[in-house]
Amino acid sequence: MYKLFLCLRYLRRRRIAFFSVAAVCLCTAMVLIVVSVMNGFLQMVRDRSRGMLGDLIMENQSLQGFPYYQDFIDQVKHDPELGQRIYEATPLIISYGVIRFPSDQITKPAQVLGIRFDETCRVNDFGKGLFYEKYYPGTTTLKPQKEPRLGRDEKGQYVLPTYLEAARSRWEKSAPPDEIAKAWRSKAVPYAGPGAYLPLPDAYAPSGVDTTGLEPVAPAYDGPELPGAIIGTDMVAKRLPTGEYEREYYSRGSTITLTFVPFTDTGKPLESGTGMPSKVFRYADDCRTGVYDIDSMSVYVDFDLLQDVLNMKEDKYTGEQGGGVIPARTTQVQIKLNAGYDPRATRDLLQKQWDEFFMSRIHSVRTPDLLRRVEIRTWEEKQAKYIAAVEKEKYLVTTLFGVISVVAVFLVVCIFYMIVQQKTRDIGIIKSVGATALGVAQIFLAYGAAVGIVGGGIGTIIAVYFVKYINEFQHGLERLGRVFHMDLQVWNPEVYAFDRIPNQVQVWDAVIIYAVAVLMAVAGSVIAAVKAARIWPVEALRYE
Amino acid sequence: MSDVILQAAGLHKSYVMGRTTLDVLKGVSLGVHRGEFVAIMGSSGCGKSTLLHLLGALDVPDRGTVKFDGTDVFGGSNAQRDRLRNRTFGFVFQFYHLLPELNVLENTLIPCMVGHSVAGWLGRRADLRRHATDLLGRLGLGDRLRHRPNELSGGERQRVAIARALANRPQVLLADEPTGNLDAATGCEIMGVLTELNRAGQTVVMVTHDPQVAASAHRIVTLSDGRIRNPKA
Repeated sequence: MYKLFLCLRYLRRRRIAFFSVAAVCLCTAMVLIVVSVMNGFLQMVRDRSRGMLGDLIMENQSLQGFPYYQDFIDQVKHDPELGQRIYEATPLIISYGVIRFPSDQITKPAQVLGIRFDETCRVNDFGKGLFYEKYYPGTTTLKPQKEPRLGRDEKGQYVLPTYLEAARSRWEKSAPPDEIAKAWRSKAVPYAGPGAYLPLPDAYAPSGVDTTGLEPVAPAYDGPELPGAIIGTDMVAKRLPTGEYEREYYSRGSTITLTFVPFTDTGKPLESGTGMPSKVFRYADDCRTGVYDIDSMSVYVDFDLLQDVLNMKEDKYTGEQGGGVIPARTTQVQIKLNAGYDPRATRDLLQKQWDEFFMSRIHSVRTPDLLRRVEIRTWEEKQAKYIAAVEKEKYLVTTLFGVISVVAVFLVVCIFYMIVQQKTRDIGIIKSVGATALGVAQIFLAYGAAVGIVGGGIGTIIAVYFVKYINEFQHGLERLGRVFHMDLQVWNPEVYAFDRIPNQVQVWDAVIIYAVAVLMAVAGSVIAAVKAARIWPVEALRYE
Repeated sequence: MSDVILQAAGLHKSYVMGRTTLDVLKGVSLGVHRGEFVAIMGSSGCGKSTLLHLLGALDVPDRGTVKFDGTDVFGGSNAQRDRLRNRTFGFVFQFYHLLPELNVLENTLIPCMVGHSVAGWLGRRADLRRHATDLLGRLGLGDRLRHRPNELSGGERQRVAIARALANRPQVLLADEPTGNLDAATGCEIMGVLTELNRAGQTVVMVTHDPQVAASAHRIVTLSDGRIRNPKA
């Protein structure tokens, strides 16, 4: 009983022990924060990779792409074995171009992706990142469309076209109240619902002008029908320090011009004679994957349209040995598997099937390498280099901070040694009333454990809260930096690819780091415990 | 005072001081009867405290034996000696040796805590606290239970030390210069307490260099040059 009693009493009354507690606390918090952020970063890389790519990716890593993709998709979908494994497969064209926003004459490089909208939403998480589709479900399309323009009711309030208003009502019926409140807090002006829309000229009212009593203006779909484009959120919206986006510069339905760089099936730039093809699109929606590199330069357009513009549709060629057909091409096929099927095993089956498939077609194309080089990889394999680099970074940083934390052990050693030196007489007293050497050692080991339990516990709580609010801390630092004209931004989304710092603490990370903190504190008390156990009571009590 | 409770025979103890060996005890033999009050006297450094430490199993002799109730104190394990110090002997020191972090009641209860596991302590906590409170009440410290040692006078501290020594109802109380650090009046008061305890049946072995203090004992043995000069006194 005395061991527990004295160790708790020493913990409370020996102020010097607070330094041990503080050291253990800070080291625990430091390691847990680092591990959580790095683990979170790795998890985000993995989640986003899978979210963007589906389970399996089929590509030959060329800009010309590969032919017969649709035949192969149809074949495997009807295959008795593969058919039940595959949930959805969709072709995707990845190319590069230039985007121009006519409203402010800004031109930027862009990665232009041709997608089949519905299929892509089924294969990966693309659909989850759409802004307008979230608040106006069912209204985002890549098909030709006009610009939705706001009208004004008899009360002077802006109103959406009926179709959009109905969609918004549908969303409001199913959305949680806090999300609705958040949507209404949006700063988009003029405002008739989440996101930005332009009012019709007749409906426009400058702020401050009383519009009550004026003739209502019916909302409308305005302008010519243009194909839709989904634009990376960071290209069209301004990211606020809170992590939310403000859509003030570009309204839904505004136009953009894309300029494309087409290649022939042999990889030569296509000479159209009229320069690089350009096309005007309407901003149908914006998409946020959470990966800054993607969100700041990707534009998604209709697959068939892009295939056409890039001259990747079925075509004919003529040559010295006669002509032939160039089959339609895609640069990638993404495949989503049904739940429970192993991507690696399915990849092997698909690759085998593809190898047989392309051998049967290889003589009918003039560029057989495009078929031969098609590889099927899992999302993990495709991102392996990136994931491995992040994993290595995680181990490196964790090890470095772990080593730094060993300082806490030495601090515990020093402080406990000092305590034993100061407490020599007390140890003699306790031994004189019958305490054993082991019992005295256990007091200091328990004392060490108590320091670890308290320090580690406080450190864990600090780390959990710090990680939870790490983005808010970052924004606070940023704001503080602005006040003092200093750059205190710690997490730059352009550098770290993700726009937010991971803020999840894994329970097992916390448990393991806490346990290690307690063990290390106990280890730090061992020398002091041995010294205390060896104290000879007669010597300790001889003098005052 | 019929049976011998504590019997020391041929005790030798020496200390190494740098390059020289100091023979403190050179074959001391002493018997203490149950209920007896024995005072050990001698000049400073003659080995009085060393003899008391050996009698109370606080130190180990180089040669010789100490028997308690016929059992060799040093024949058993360290754990057995620890148990003897906890249950059988109670020590009172010249410098009180109280734990500064604990209050009066907690200091008194320390031997009880040492003698009990957590479960055992929780089971008997109320009894033990009551016993310690009674003891402290009898020693005039009933209103000082929550005070820390630094809030007490020298006499009060020594009474707390006596209460602690008696907490586990020891069979032998070993007092090492219990009045050595106190003024004459307070020393008298403490001797009164020890005499009272002895009258109630407590065996007391006390070390002192003060003949007036020793006069309270039934028997005075004098230690000189490492040997007892008047074993039958």
